[in-house]
Amino acid sequence: MSEDPTTAQKTGLAPKKVLGIFALAMINVAAVLSIRNFPSMAEFGWSSIGWYIIGTILFLIPLSLAGAELATMLSDKGGGVYAWCKEAFGTKGGFVAVFCEWSNNLVWFPTVLAFIASTLAFAISPALGTNAIYLFVVMMIAFWGTTAIAYFGENVSSKFQNVGVILGSIIPSILIIGLGLYWVASGSAIVLPPFTWAQVVPTFNLSTLPFFATVILLFAGMEMAGFHALEVRNPNKDFPKAMAISAVIIFFCTVMATLAIAFVIPANELSLSAGVMQAIQVFFEALGIPGAVAPMAILITIGGVVSLAAWLIGPALGLGVVAQEGNMPPIFNRTNKYGSPVAVLFIQALIGTFVSLLYIFLPSINQAYWILSAMTVELLCIVYLLVFASLIKLRYSRPEAPRPFKIPGGIPGIWLIGGMGAFGVIFAFIVGLMPTGGSFTTGQTISYVAGILIGTFLLAVPPLIFLKLKKPSWIETGNKEG
Amino acid sequence: MNEVDNSAWAVMLILILIILLPIGWIMVVSTPEPYHIVAGEPLREALENSGITVVSAVNSKLPLPGATGGKIYTISDENGNLITIQTQSFDSAGSRDAAIKLHNAQSVGKGKPIEDLVVIGNHLIFVRPGTGGTIKKILPELQKIKGR
Repeated sequence: MSEDPTTAQKTGLAPKKVLGIFALAMINVAAVLSIRNFPSMAEFGWSSIGWYIIGTILFLIPLSLAGAELATMLSDKGGGVYAWCKEAFGTKGGFVAVFCEWSNNLVWFPTVLAFIASTLAFAISPALGTNAIYLFVVMMIAFWGTTAIAYFGENVSSKFQNVGVILGSIIPSILIIGLGLYWVASGSAIVLPPFTWAQVVPTFNLSTLPFFATVILLFAGMEMAGFHALEVRNPNKDFPKAMAISAVIIFFCTVMATLAIAFVIPANELSLSAGVMQAIQVFFEALGIPGAVAPMAILITIGGVVSLAAWLIGPALGLGVVAQEGNMPPIFNRTNKYGSPVAVLFIQALIGTFVSLLYIFLPSINQAYWILSAMTVELLCIVYLLVFASLIKLRYSRPEAPRPFKIPGGIPGIWLIGGMGAFGVIFAFIVGLMPTGGSFTTGQTISYVAGILIGTFLLAVPPLIFLKLKKPSWIETGNKEG
Repeated sequence: MNEVDNSAWAVMLILILIILLPIGWIMVVSTPEPYHIVAGEPLREALENSGITVVSAVNSKLPLPGATGGKIYTISDENGNLITIQTQSFDSAGSRDAAIKLHNAQSVGKGKPIEDLVVIGNHLIFVRPGTGGTIKKILPELQKIKGR
């Protein structure tokens, strides 16, 4: 496995080294940090801290460390999680990992696109947020626009993400944190009950257990920078620093902004029934600046678009590498002069458009939505389980490989970090099968679980079919567009 | 087209079918929630039939097209904790379904929204996190009302 030529050697295409620490960190921040999480988590009050700590210990820290070690160890190989898992488990393992990372997006795209459209509507006219035609048009503009940005390669997309993540994620987070601090400093009453450590501990029962999967995967996307390995100027130094910077920014902004909202709005007024922007509106009205709602809606819309871009571009790059290595039919192996996997991007956009059409124009499909959301979670759990398993296995199968960043503690250290991460995602996979809220009858629960398992299986299995049908000619017939 | 091209197209077709089948099948086969007018306050009725006391109920109207009003109920669970559940009714299937889609777009991370949603005819019941035990208790009553 380790003797495989790199993708660049195979294809004769050497990507431009355009990414540094800042750009790498911003790719991760774009994928993970989202304002739309804050009002939802603020409903938990002080216990949101406990939930975040669980997510940090069982996922954010292990994945950041695993990403730093694997990305520096395999910095000459493109494909992110594909390269990492392939090194440990062969092409089959790598292909399944990157395909699950890609296919879960196909299910998730309509959700984030609908969020983008409904949030933008808040800046124009909130009533538009429920207009199907408006929603679909804005969703398609965001989706195909982001795909077009990806077409122009790493240089353009990284600049777009750098600017977008600062405008759409970091500035709004800092603004919310600053206003929360102002609320406290100005002597206004904090609506949360007085702090006690007991309140930080989350409530664990059957009804909150499914939420565990959501919390664990709240920080999903920390591996996203790994997909851009071949474009990094100095991967051995830049990856660990970028991982650390992005993890600190994400944790700080998420916890502080959530608490800022929880300080100002009573939990029973934190209704998300009319969308996250409703909660943001209550927040700004409480602070006496209702005029800030519309500009904030625009910034949050930008944040949604860069989050979409991070998830749309990274896994497509990974799948492009799979195609370049001849593991997919030549139709998938088309790269343009900017180094973008245009065929994968185009197929992704077509499928995403079709699923968005169904999402918007089918009548109420509440249960279908829950199943598709759960499938996203399950597919991601498969990806991360393979990543943590690769981290551990490579310490045994490739102990001699240079690791510019090495998780400290030797074999016990790697088992501790990889084990915590694996435990988190296995547990998330299991509880991700449970319906939330207890609003399902027994019959609905059975069809719900069956739907998730069958759907997850079907969305994870295509790599095995491709590898079964693989032909030697696939590697030779890839095209480069002028 | 030669043999290689044909197999490539065949594999692509398989891929698209495999991806679109589960997604399309789940979306198309799932039964849409029937829209019909359910008179009165279904949540209050279900709570009372389940022996759960409503501590207070205040009127509330969401800023959504077609929303005709609802209530924010405060109830006491078995441990004495006060929990709130919000309801809202809608004047048409279209406006109700649009509200469902808007709610579902407010996901946390790549997961689901933290609030669950129960659909009873023209009413939506927004279930806050941690109240699932109570909802489980009243679900049979809600199902009875739903089936009326």
